[in-house]
Amino acid sequence: MSTPGGGDDFEDVDPGLAGARTELAWTRTAISFAAVGAALLRNHPVVGIPVLALSLLVWELGRLPRNPATGATRTRHLRLITAGITGIALAALVITLATGW
Amino acid sequence: MSRADSPGSAGSPGSAGSPGRHNRAGSPDSADGPGRPDPVGAAPGGGEREPDARFTWANERTFLAWSRTALALVLGGLAVAQLLPPFPGVPGARHVIGIPLILLGGAIAVLSYTEWQANQRALRRGEPLRRSLLPRLLAGTIAVIALLSAVLALVSAVTGHP
Repeated sequence: MSTPGGGDDFEDVDPGLAGARTELAWTRTAISFAAVGAALLRNHPVVGIPVLALSLLVWELGRLPRNPATGATRTRHLRLITAGITGIALAALVITLATGW
Repeated sequence: MSRADSPGSAGSPGSAGSPGRHNRAGSPDSADGPGRPDPVGAAPGGGEREPDARFTWANERTFLAWSRTALALVLGGLAVAQLLPPFPGVPGARHVIGIPLILLGGAIAVLSYTEWQANQRALRRGEPLRRSLLPRLLAGTIAVIALLSAVLALVSAVTGHP
């Protein structure tokens, strides 16, 4: 699709929308962490509280300025999310195995 | 492909980019649009430079979408093991369904990070992106778990109520 800016789509005219979509993706991820934390909070507060704290951290990370030159910082942020989910999966595995068969 | 379907924008891991967009990432004229951030300097060692920011962000959104999928799988597995009533006549059935879901969630979390890294590297080098392993892994494992659940439910229905 041709646009007044000469590009072939709207994003060529306004690349800022891509940044906004990325921020929204971070927000959805933070909400997902919060939902998992809230679900765990009642029966397993030892796991639930850190997960809720992680959701706040993810929320904040999503609001940091997005500069392509800060690649190493972004790598650390994404690594944190991976470590967080892996930790939650391990905790869920322990909780499940401890549940009566 | 509409703007709304761009990589990761709809929260769907399946929308992880089209070949057309990938090809544009490596083209020399892909970063000269008006108002678009210019790639920053070439990395030492040659051959690498920061891609157009939009591709970096799309890659990041795809990673985040897979992360949410992983979280949903872990929570789903936990819910099956903790909240479902026991299957009469099939001890451990809830665990047989729930544990693979949790393991799949953990695996997807790790694999989505390695794919994000590989894609970012390919974007920097202007190389084509590799085909993702994750959709096939997710579809295959969920299909197997669904089949297993159906079998367990049938066995429970037959043996649990004599």
